[in-house]
Amino acid sequence: MMGVVIRNIRILSPNSPLHQATEIGIEKELFVDPTTIKDAQVVDGQGGLLIPGLIDCRVNLREPGLEHKGTIASETRAAIAGGVTSVVATPTTDPVVDSPADVRLVLERAKASGFCRVLPTAMLTQGGEGHHLSEMAALVDAGCVALAQGNRPFGSRKIELNALKYAQSLGIGVILDSEDSDFAGGCAHAGQIGTGLGLSLNPSLSETLGLGADLDLVEATGVHAHFSRITTKNSVERIKAAKARGLQITCDVTLAHLIYSEHAIINLDPNFHLERPLRTEEDRCALIAGVIDGTIDVIVSDHSPHEPGAKLAPFPETDQGMSMSEGMIQSLIELDKQGELPLEYSLDAMTVRAARLINRPDLGCLQYGNSADCVLIDPEGQTHFDPTTWLSAGANSPLLGKTLPGRVLGTWIGGQHFPR
Amino acid sequence: MQGPAALQLTPDGRLKHLLTTEGLPQSLITELLDTAETFLSSQGQPVKKVPLLRGKTVVNLFFENSTRTRTTFDIAAHRLSADVVTLDIRTSSASKGETLFDTLKNLEAMQADLFVVRHSAGGAPFFIADRVTPNIAVINAGDGTHAHPTQALLDLMTIRKHKGDPANLSVAIVGDLKHSRVARSLIHGLRGMGCPDIRAIGPGTLLPGDLGHLGVQSFNRIEDGLNGVDVVVLLRLQKERMSSALLPSEREFFNLYGMTESRLQLADDNAIVMHPGPINRGVEIANEVADGPQAVILDQVTNGIAIRMAVMAMTLSTQQESQ
Repeated sequence: MMGVVIRNIRILSPNSPLHQATEIGIEKELFVDPTTIKDAQVVDGQGGLLIPGLIDCRVNLREPGLEHKGTIASETRAAIAGGVTSVVATPTTDPVVDSPADVRLVLERAKASGFCRVLPTAMLTQGGEGHHLSEMAALVDAGCVALAQGNRPFGSRKIELNALKYAQSLGIGVILDSEDSDFAGGCAHAGQIGTGLGLSLNPSLSETLGLGADLDLVEATGVHAHFSRITTKNSVERIKAAKARGLQITCDVTLAHLIYSEHAIINLDPNFHLERPLRTEEDRCALIAGVIDGTIDVIVSDHSPHEPGAKLAPFPETDQGMSMSEGMIQSLIELDKQGELPLEYSLDAMTVRAARLINRPDLGCLQYGNSADCVLIDPEGQTHFDPTTWLSAGANSPLLGKTLPGRVLGTWIGGQHFPR
Repeated sequence: MQGPAALQLTPDGRLKHLLTTEGLPQSLITELLDTAETFLSSQGQPVKKVPLLRGKTVVNLFFENSTRTRTTFDIAAHRLSADVVTLDIRTSSASKGETLFDTLKNLEAMQADLFVVRHSAGGAPFFIADRVTPNIAVINAGDGTHAHPTQALLDLMTIRKHKGDPANLSVAIVGDLKHSRVARSLIHGLRGMGCPDIRAIGPGTLLPGDLGHLGVQSFNRIEDGLNGVDVVVLLRLQKERMSSALLPSEREFFNLYGMTESRLQLADDNAIVMHPGPINRGVEIANEVADGPQAVILDQVTNGIAIRMAVMAMTLSTQQESQ
């Protein structure tokens, strides 16, 4: 492969010695010093910003088994349009990913489709049913970056304890979705809006009770745990306190919970029917503050594409989740321009901190020797999300019809160029 | 206007669907109540037959069990000379896996003019109103625990008839407000009419936690809440509240919140007692109150027919004029 030098750019990668540099070289999949490349092809960056490719730590790629909702090809292509170069795939497909063969299938499909990097996860328990432990060591050998239980409950706290203890003994990190199953299931936050609309309710207590018990189990086992999709101020405070006590834990928040609060459901738009309900404005502000102060480590899309019929019903009867990958970087730029969340923090969460979470020091930072994953953006440009050019198989997105600031001019993943 | 309520009005503020009493302007509520009164004879009974909806087809779409509400909608449509088709969807297409959307498109193709919708999912009538062709009116006959606007309107009509303008009244609602679409819609309707004093009475497990923002005062002791009120609205207590551990027993509910003669004396001397029916004697209400002079429960049923006639007539006339 011929070496490439990208010139006329401003590098935004705060942890890197190349931060603010105006050119960078790419050779043999890696970033290199541009002066060392002979006969380089020169790319004019048009004065744009060059950022590390985003790492999205929670994406539902829907394959295998749910191809009517999306495929690895369609969703990884959509991710690139949103500035994402690596996705961590959830194991809650159909069947769930719980064997090395499933992991290899996902990796092979990802390689064949040739879009962004796919990092699989697998279920902690066989079939995701919460009763028998998966072959964790074999799953990690096959290429999983972590093991998760997704939105499926453990059969009991005892089984959860065993799963965490076993994972800890093998040095495997786990991803937990904390929720008390007795309280789960409501389709709206138990607040003013959900109550007024007469919807089935999911109180904050549902998350708090689950998180409290999970934290105790994590503390008892010493496992490296990542708490996914926290939604409440109370959770932020508890995780902050647990980190201060020295627990080896991390957590994430979805982009939707940083942008929207319970008020978004007032028109019963089923795109806002999520597995974790949108909560109060106070919760939203606490989540943003959590990203800024580092209590919340990473931001995820929780990208959940659906076929049209899944959202063509009254709000409570629709499938949960929204299709968000395609507008990740644009949404982060908008949060920055609105004065809600400065880009330096959101970018850090989706690059440096995300790379640390999945233990990939070669990703998330623009420096020589790292994998050449980067995105060239025009922060003054705009992206219009039009149904005719939409790439995700899921049109269940509040982005459709909107225009957001920021425009992706080009993407490199492992040195491979994906023009806009 | 914020929220799905905006769907029910034309840009110039006329009623094209009736989906909720939330945000319904006072002038429209008054117009509905006045129209309903014209459908009552001098004896206070609904008129037998008027030709207002001759040639129109009203489709009752009941996705959830209901005998009483469905019957009153049936009678109201017949009194307006409409053709009425009633579909019990639970036993027809829904069980064959047809989606609500497809059912809707099929019924449209059959040239219906008005859908009366009852559904167990909150927001279902909004979903339908948002997607029907523009010449079809939609009336919400109860959606989940969200709204039951015709019940609220017949309650307002009954209150106005017996006690005058709600802007001068104190109203207490007793029982299971948390799971009641009747209570939600009545509260919005009373607020729309300028009622200054709305009280909710019940145990902590049956009162929503956030009534304050609706201007409703909550009371856990009925003796505190009933003091001097002009209108007492009792809500029906469903048996499943006991099995889901929200209440210990019907007996305890009656002992704490049942409307007895002695409790009724705490209210204003001329207070009226209302209930959306069907009543559970010895649970929400004592026999002597149910059959006593202050109860207006059967009058509510009569007014219910007139209100449903008024809602059908008004929404269809809006649809007709906009064609």
